[in-house]
Amino acid sequence: MALRGTKTQIVSPVRVLSIGIILSIVLVVVALTSLSMGPAKVSMGTILAWCAGTQSVEQTTSMILTKIRLPRILLAGLVGFTLSLGGVVFQALLRNPLAEPFILGISSGAAIGAIGGIMLGLGFTVGVPLLSFISALATILLVMGISSRHGGLESSTLLLTGVIVNAFFTAIIMFFIATVSDSRLHSMLFWLYGDLSQSKYIQLSISLPLVLIVSGLIYLFSRHLNLMVGGEESALQMGVEVEMVKWISFIGISLITGVVVSFSGIIGFVGLIVPHLMRMILGPDHRLLIPASALGGAVFLVAADTVARTIISPSELPVGVITAFLGAPFFIYLLRKRGSQWTQG
Amino acid sequence: MQEDSLRYAFHSRILPLLLFLVLLSSPVRLWGATFLDSLGRKVVLASPPTRIVSLAPSITEMIYFLGLDERLVGVTRFSYFPEEAREKPRVGTYTDINVEKVVALDPEAGIPVYVVNPRRINQVLEAIESIGDVCGVEPRARALVGSLTKRIEKVKEAVRGKDRPLVFLVINTKPLMSVNRSTTHHDVIVLAGGRNLAEDQPVTYPRLSLEEVIRRGPEVIIISSMDRSGEHERARRQWFRWTAIPAVRNGRVYAIDSDLIDRAAPRVVKGLEEMARLIHPEITWH
Repeated sequence: MALRGTKTQIVSPVRVLSIGIILSIVLVVVALTSLSMGPAKVSMGTILAWCAGTQSVEQTTSMILTKIRLPRILLAGLVGFTLSLGGVVFQALLRNPLAEPFILGISSGAAIGAIGGIMLGLGFTVGVPLLSFISALATILLVMGISSRHGGLESSTLLLTGVIVNAFFTAIIMFFIATVSDSRLHSMLFWLYGDLSQSKYIQLSISLPLVLIVSGLIYLFSRHLNLMVGGEESALQMGVEVEMVKWISFIGISLITGVVVSFSGIIGFVGLIVPHLMRMILGPDHRLLIPASALGGAVFLVAADTVARTIISPSELPVGVITAFLGAPFFIYLLRKRGSQWTQG
Repeated sequence: MQEDSLRYAFHSRILPLLLFLVLLSSPVRLWGATFLDSLGRKVVLASPPTRIVSLAPSITEMIYFLGLDERLVGVTRFSYFPEEAREKPRVGTYTDINVEKVVALDPEAGIPVYVVNPRRINQVLEAIESIGDVCGVEPRARALVGSLTKRIEKVKEAVRGKDRPLVFLVINTKPLMSVNRSTTHHDVIVLAGGRNLAEDQPVTYPRLSLEEVIRRGPEVIIISSMDRSGEHERARRQWFRWTAIPAVRNGRVYAIDSDLIDRAAPRVVKGLEEMARLIHPEITWH
């Protein structure tokens, strides 16, 4: 926003590609650093040699690297990618700078679905994520339905609705946890704050294709999102199929948010911090903002999860604690600096 | 009820163990005595109590153990051992006592409360003795505690001089949680001839990363959980993929009934015997 109107606004495919490559390199570097960190000491040199296949490591180390750290890093990247993408899309569609899956209550909506799936005895690979998706979508509709009663989505109403929906869903979740005799549900107390310690490759193979398809689809809409930020009516006049773009985006984002929440628990603020930083650095054009935010989200969550699992080693923190530590002050900063108005247009 | 046991297990791990006895004595003055409870409070009783409310499941177990169940008029919600304890009136949960219900069980005002707080196995024995004293059944309490002591000594004797394997006690799977040295669980592990993997942790019930457990390489893994619908077997199987852990490689992943070691009650001695069998299968136990 700060850079609007300057030369950096011109988004050429070359620029998109080069920013994409730069962020991918950052992601790889952060992931390798994360791979080398943890209670068991493994040096960066060993990691590089091991990745290149020139050095073998003992069984314990290789198990820690391949079965504990690597799936966790990959899932953290994918979850960060998804949540940040969700943030950028919601901020554009709702024309609200503070919209984000967690703040709008969509993450806790997905969590309700996941818990329902567990109580019904559904499988953790398909059934639970599916219910999670359905309830995430229902939550989006609910939040929008409540806050658009007086025509248009006013910022403060939308945020308040999110707060209320969050409070209500949290109450439902606590009610289930307190009353149902299922040890898997009791474990969810920790999962509610975001927990990547149970990451498995199977979760990646389910969520990766979905995330790729949805993010590809949404990228096709990036021009439309640019126009819609300026107002739906003017976008309509310029030939944007506003309703179609909205629906496909909402369903797509609910799908991937629901799936990742069912694997990772509720991780807040990723979709707030990363898109805003990217917008400050790179400008508001969604052709650049979407890929940059998604990749930036991956970098951010891999880094945050590395902190979560090493800062009080040999114990671990839920990663949601780290993202909230950073995200809540950032939220207040945005609120103070810009008010809750969308100042982009 | 099964959910009760689960809730109890949860509470018992999170909250400190201050166990209360509410003693409702008979109005007839025959006998007057003053007792000092574990908080150093003076508890004055005019006569041996005839109406007792137990405010923790472990105390309920002690009272049954002492054969005082006829005097027991109220228990907490998770008191389900022995089976008959379920029939007693409930006065809330151990962490959330319904004071009105307690008072309703006795017409007299000024109800004496005696507090015990066992954190070690010998303190469990002391608590049983002091409850026996307060209730006026000292000889019976001494005899019963004597037989428990003998069983503990037998285990100690059997594991003396043996190797002490590194034991990882799992009290919660997701997230992975264990016990440090200030728990009765730690006592049980050490008396059973093992070393507690998490003894050095600053938190009473530390959350450990799986990576740390692999790094420390426990020789025995013992999962403490309620055995229902194959829970023990499922919990054990989850460990089988971590073949870098010596305990897994050597097929030394076991499960133990959490009630036996979670409760600071007479049954903890049975828990100790079972734990010793798991840690030292090479000894011929009888």
